[in-house]
Amino acid sequence: MKKILAIAAIASLISAPLSAGASDFTPKKDIEWVVTSSPGGGSDIYTRFISDAMTKANLANGKTFLVTNKTDGGGEVGRLNVSRTAAGTRADHTLLTFNSGDLMPMVKNTSNRLANFTPLAIMAEDKQLLFIGESAKYKTFDEVIKAVKSGAKVVIAGSKGDDVATYEKLIKELKFTEDQLAFIVNDSTSAAITSILGGHVDLVMSKPAAADQYVVAGKLTPVLALSSTRFTGNLRDAPRLSEVGSYQDVEFPVWRGVVGPKTMSPEAAAFWAKSLKTVAESEAWQKDYIGKFKLIPSFLDQQAAKAFMTKFEQDYLKSIGK
Amino acid sequence: MENATTKSKGFGLNQTIPLATAAMAGVFLWLGLSQYGFWHDSKGPMSGFFPVVISSALLLVSIATFFQSFSEKRPTLPLINWLPAFGVVLILGATLLLGMVPSLALYVVLWLRLFEKYDWKTTLVTTTVIMAIVIGCFVIWLGVPFPQGLIYEAITE
Amino acid sequence: MENINMLLQGFSVLLTWQNVFVTFLGAILGLIVGAMPGIGSLAGVALLLPLTYSFNPTTAVIMLGSLYYANMFGGAFSAILLNIPGDSPAVMTALDGYPMATVKKRPGQALLVSNFSSFIGGFIGMIILTFTGPALANIGLKFGPSEMTALLLVAMTSIGWLVGENPSKGLLLTLFGILLACMGMDTLTGSPRYDFGNEYLLGGIPFTPFVIGMVGFSQVMILMDERLVKAKEVTEKLTIRGSLLTKHDLKRLLPPALRSGVLGTFMGVLPGAGATAASFMGYAVQKSFKSEEPLGSGAVEGIASCEAANNGAAAGSFAPLLALGIPGSGTGAVLLGGLMLWGLNPGPLLFTNEPDFAWGLIASLFLANVVALMCAWGVIPLLIKILSVPTRLIIPCITVICIVGSYSTSNSMYGVLVMLISGVLGYVMHKFRYPAAPVLLAFVLAPMLESNMRKSFIISRGSLDIFFDSPLSLAFMTIFIVILLFPAARAVFGSFTRTKMETAK
Repeated sequence: MKKILAIAAIASLISAPLSAGASDFTPKKDIEWVVTSSPGGGSDIYTRFISDAMTKANLANGKTFLVTNKTDGGGEVGRLNVSRTAAGTRADHTLLTFNSGDLMPMVKNTSNRLANFTPLAIMAEDKQLLFIGESAKYKTFDEVIKAVKSGAKVVIAGSKGDDVATYEKLIKELKFTEDQLAFIVNDSTSAAITSILGGHVDLVMSKPAAADQYVVAGKLTPVLALSSTRFTGNLRDAPRLSEVGSYQDVEFPVWRGVVGPKTMSPEAAAFWAKSLKTVAESEAWQKDYIGKFKLIPSFLDQQAAKAFMTKFEQDYLKSIGK
Repeated sequence: MENATTKSKGFGLNQTIPLATAAMAGVFLWLGLSQYGFWHDSKGPMSGFFPVVISSALLLVSIATFFQSFSEKRPTLPLINWLPAFGVVLILGATLLLGMVPSLALYVVLWLRLFEKYDWKTTLVTTTVIMAIVIGCFVIWLGVPFPQGLIYEAITE
Repeated sequence: MENINMLLQGFSVLLTWQNVFVTFLGAILGLIVGAMPGIGSLAGVALLLPLTYSFNPTTAVIMLGSLYYANMFGGAFSAILLNIPGDSPAVMTALDGYPMATVKKRPGQALLVSNFSSFIGGFIGMIILTFTGPALANIGLKFGPSEMTALLLVAMTSIGWLVGENPSKGLLLTLFGILLACMGMDTLTGSPRYDFGNEYLLGGIPFTPFVIGMVGFSQVMILMDERLVKAKEVTEKLTIRGSLLTKHDLKRLLPPALRSGVLGTFMGVLPGAGATAASFMGYAVQKSFKSEEPLGSGAVEGIASCEAANNGAAAGSFAPLLALGIPGSGTGAVLLGGLMLWGLNPGPLLFTNEPDFAWGLIASLFLANVVALMCAWGVIPLLIKILSVPTRLIIPCITVICIVGSYSTSNSMYGVLVMLISGVLGYVMHKFRYPAAPVLLAFVLAPMLESNMRKSFIISRGSLDIFFDSPLSLAFMTIFIVILLFPAARAVFGSFTRTKMETAK
């Protein structure tokens, strides 16, 4: 039995590069993987998790992934450099971690567009909820709506990028102004949670993973799911917006993806897309990444990712009037 | 280590510094008011509020410093002090071609041998020590990806 | 007493061969990382995080915790010996440390003062953390945007203590520093300002290269003057015995170290304040107390006040991290990310669910404090030899370290460019007798002040009342107004001012 297992293990090790060899591309040098945020943050952990998984499964022909954090200009410089990589060996060995939180500031503040990249995959999705604190003035989202309508000012704290976009979608659906239901942008979700724990704001917007322990401890209570389906586990009591009143559900897709430069050859793109797919289907990914960070395991392959990101960019550009 | 200073006469660098900050304050003030917004009725201060307040103050202080500067001593800025800055510019240029680590080593060797006229032994020992710190700490241990230069890339392509 | 039992429990977790070993390893690595300009605790912890994946969580966090902690010791080394702060909290250490090592020719003592004060500050922080951990974290929570605004206004007035001989020049640079800090992304609106269409400026001016240039590289340019001065005489003083602190030194060191230890711990607990702000505050507060020599001329009190504060803050920042899962600094955020990777759930339940882990970590801080002190002490005789290296050899070496350090902060040439420009700026400022400290202080504090102030106004719908509503903000606003009015009052009592001036001199 042991022997069979060993053979199976070896076979799986060998088969990975073999199957990759079926396409016309194999990595010939070390791969530079650009992350446009600081070491230790969410995007960094995501990138290192994938690159470690690829190295362990020998999906890169024994070459090393050099994860480089390029944080200049809020990440715009790193993204611009990748988009400008000249065709050739280098372009085939450059990857970029690319999330919804990267795309939005990029198209808002610079002229760089998705068209300058080759989408390879979307690895995971995330959604948000609104929570109240322990000594909250309003106990349900229904009370929040009534309070706003009667002239009270309610304040939500949240993080940058995705949270702002979700908030804007929310007040549009509720037909409130930014004065009625205000939003404070913090540098991180944990800073936002800090301000609600101190009782300085009424509501906080967070993704499930960041709020989880506070919900368990009874310090935060979910009051609204910003999703078209209810969450599960300790978040299942949070109603969707359509359950609170005669509104449409508000949902804003927050995704994590990987892209290459526009000049990446189709063979290389196919190779990387396939490797990413292998990682996304692995048990370690499902358990140690998706499970731990409470994400939605919605993998999109090369074609689907491209279509999805393109649509996302169009919608976003339209929403900011560009 | 205050070396030769002369009593300032007329216009010089003493006056240029407050003039430069005044100009900067002017630009920040104008951009702040015209582009970033000052005050919002219900949200309070906007993007431009803080910079506008600060740059107005800077403008006033710059003017005060400008008039005060005429009564000050004027230090000299000997050319030799600028050599290290010039060196950094050269290293930046050489990095494009040779990569950063070799450029740094070359710089130390050239500086010590040609400019300071040290013997080869001192030059090489010093270079070895400093490069050991750079390579051991930054390159190997911390894994900082220093630029490798066009030549290296041409070889590895 | 329960807390002491828990701490002892923590020590029993800590005192395995493996954990003691990683504490030592972490402390030594922390000293090195701290002493290297450009690589601060944030980068050090982040870069070593992957190494710890294979450890069990307690061992891993003990290593990173002691690395983070020892880093505060290491930063002072290069600040004192080369006038290049190894990390940003050490900026203020250089102000007195470097003159004490060079002008006063007491490098060993300067390093020892910094080590001892770090030890004392850290020890105070850890004691406070042990006994009041969760309660301390809850006090931190009371500081919302309006309270932080009021506190920061008070802090900004401390710049007044730093402006030096010429107030208008000091003020000019303070305002200049604030404007520089305004460049880049405005978080509250999510749009850039003062980026002048440049994608690099979109992210603003990075602090670390700015400091390396302003304080370190400008020093290289200044040193060109001293290049040909006969090599500094190497006296027999540069031995361990010759570097020992005198009783008198200790007497001068203790009061500021104790004060700053408490102040620093408190600063570490506040949301987003961190060790850098703490050391600035510690130094500024010392300005209002009596020092035997004027601060900035190599005073023991100057080194003690900022070093104790930043170590206190490092210890203090563990309170919100452990009790609530809230990182007080960038490094804390990375540690938090680490906790998740190791399979722990950081958050308000950590103390309850994982007592071994939480108390083991606190116990390891105590051990790291002792280990860092010992290691630092051990290397002092070696380190002070650096000072006997001729300036002519040192100049190209520091240049190299400045370049490498500023490159490493964001892995880009932009960092080097910022370093070069701010270095030239720092040199010109020095020549024209403009003080550098206010620029750096303003650069750190102003963005915090602005964002907290604007958040307060969003909450209050543009009304000023919010700053006088809560007792805390009311108290700080009162202090702020008193400080502002004080000079006016002093002008009235002119004679009083004159005596005060004389004692200051």
